[in-house]
Amino acid sequence: MRFDAVVIGGGNSGSAAALALVEAGLKVCVVSEGLSLGVAGSAPASIATQQNPPYARLAELSAKGATVLRGDSAVSGNWDGLKLKSVVTRNLADMPLEADFFVLATGKFFSRGLLSDMEKIWEPVFGADVYFTPGRETWSDPDFFAPQPFMKFGVLTDKEGRVLFGGKPAENLYGTGEVLAADSKALDINKLISRYAGK
Amino acid sequence: MEYDVIIVGGGITGAATARDCAMRGFKTLLVERGDLCDGASGRNHGLLHSGGRYAVTDREGAEECIRENRILRRIASNCVEPTEGLFISLPEDGLDYQANFIAKCREAGIDAKAIDPKEALRLEPAINPSIIGAVKVPDASVDPFRLTDANVLDAQRHGADVLKFHKVVSLIVEEGRVKGVEVLGHNDVSTKKIYAREVVLAAGIWTAALAEAAGVHIGMMPSKGALIIFGHRVARMVINRCRKPANADILVPGDVVSVLGTTSDKVPLETCDDMHATPEEVELLLREGVQLVPSLATTRIIRAYAGVRPLVVADNSGDGRSVSRGIVLLDHEERDGLPGLITITGGKLTTARLMAEMTADLLCRKFGVNRRCETAEKPLPGSDGRKARFEDPVEQRAAIGRHGGEVSKMDFSQGREVLCECEQVTRAEIRYAVQHFGVRNISDLRRHTRIGMGTCQGSFCIRKVAVALAGELGDPSLADTFVKEYLQERWKGMTPVLWGDTLREGEYMHKVHSL
Repeated sequence: MRFDAVVIGGGNSGSAAALALVEAGLKVCVVSEGLSLGVAGSAPASIATQQNPPYARLAELSAKGATVLRGDSAVSGNWDGLKLKSVVTRNLADMPLEADFFVLATGKFFSRGLLSDMEKIWEPVFGADVYFTPGRETWSDPDFFAPQPFMKFGVLTDKEGRVLFGGKPAENLYGTGEVLAADSKALDINKLISRYAGK
Repeated sequence: MEYDVIIVGGGITGAATARDCAMRGFKTLLVERGDLCDGASGRNHGLLHSGGRYAVTDREGAEECIRENRILRRIASNCVEPTEGLFISLPEDGLDYQANFIAKCREAGIDAKAIDPKEALRLEPAINPSIIGAVKVPDASVDPFRLTDANVLDAQRHGADVLKFHKVVSLIVEEGRVKGVEVLGHNDVSTKKIYAREVVLAAGIWTAALAEAAGVHIGMMPSKGALIIFGHRVARMVINRCRKPANADILVPGDVVSVLGTTSDKVPLETCDDMHATPEEVELLLREGVQLVPSLATTRIIRAYAGVRPLVVADNSGDGRSVSRGIVLLDHEERDGLPGLITITGGKLTTARLMAEMTADLLCRKFGVNRRCETAEKPLPGSDGRKARFEDPVEQRAAIGRHGGEVSKMDFSQGREVLCECEQVTRAEIRYAVQHFGVRNISDLRRHTRIGMGTCQGSFCIRKVAVALAGELGDPSLADTFVKEYLQERWKGMTPVLWGDTLREGEYMHKVHSL
């Protein structure tokens, strides 16, 4: 299946990015596993999900013609050098999703955008560069209510928002939202639209 | 006011001793500086030993365990889950130890039966498939909180007084004799003196400092044990390693979780008030634990914690090598020429009733009375055979399992809503805990009801619970503080194990509760 854009992750950031792309006239696919916590500070995912912006947005996306793959998740990508050709999802193993560009919006640990073991933290779909501090005793603050260091960890991008691999940016894979390391430059979705909408 | 006996320490030993003293007719007071089970009694495996673990190295300890094991199944049926236990041999352990183990178990009166490894794997599919041998023993799972509560309730029903949240600041020594204790309540500015004919120290590792203040030296060696709780039951039975006792070779199922432990490290006395598991201990526990049950490597860890064993250095041995894990009963009149003071320490959760019996026997001799111990025959409150039945309302069944016939004291007409889903705790049970155990916060409530002890550890329910508890205490404004204290305490147990699914949960907790 071919799209203009595939957004991986239907949480707050993914659904917002997808909506902007759809409204700009792009043909968009959203892969949403449904593990979003919603917007921090509003109702948690376990209750009243329809009140949470991302869940409402997924419905709006469907209504506006986007393809929303609910309950599915990306498992790997097919690459040509640093250009991402397609992604493979768990449910559509033999039908890769092709697109001109891709947006990684898989969130942090809860939504499994980042995985961890005793020693390290990694991004499981593509193996992108991830910022974290060595030694897991540095990952948390003993004060629960203090800002937690692990919330700063995440995927690294360049100033265009392109995901880094071994320090080099992928051509057409962008990152947005919580999956990114803290202090990452926010993805400029309008710039993306002007770049790809004319094609 | 004067008591016959003041018992210092509201752990299982003090609670059992208070019960025995009260049943023998002594005017008894139990003093505890915090809540019941604040120390080692609330920081252990929850294992009712068959004695198998000690059969090879400590025959006397093994015999005590199996006797007490049988007694507790009878008198505390609502606290004991008769899971049975397995001692498994891995290829590197060989089978020589097993042969000796079985022989020694039988000598101690422990029913140890070798079973075919295939049969063991059929009984417990999660255990290491490379086992070469397995022995079945009558281990069991015991809820130490509930057991302590039951002892305290029974002591009270036999006339004992209980003073919680009162720290013993010193022993009153007058005319060369201990005459009582000086206590300071949590909310008090000045101390008060309480007198008794005999004072019994049953304060675990904190006993040493209390005795020292009265000029008596007890050589105690704090031995730290760290444990890990996993998010569900990976095995039905207690799983032990059939080898010389070592680190992390026991996995105990308890209610809806599993507990792996333990380590054994000498620690300084002054650290005993703030025990927590370290990342190194966690790594050691996991490395060894996966040998018992490989799937522990991928099972969600709920948290890690640690307690302190009050080991006693045997008298006349200053080098600290001769350490007893057995029961130590010290008559300080005889030992140090200080009448009015007795220490009961060492021992195990499993043998607490016996420790109490020995202490009360000594008190009988001192008071010149002859009253028989009845604690092994009379069931504890809640151990009355009342089991949850199909006809029982669904929201009451878990409470019946926990408290037996004591549920008749809970008012389900006002508060049948379930607040803690994992452990099925209702508002009625919360009210019962407030009324009967003087609960002041969620940590206390947890010890007396199992609220927040299940797989979600309070992540989902804690606000509901806090509001309900604050309401029962008559001050709704307390709810926010309750939540904060509880989450901070939980965080302490999560940070040493914060990776994988535990880190996922950490992010969830942080987002939902810290804002």
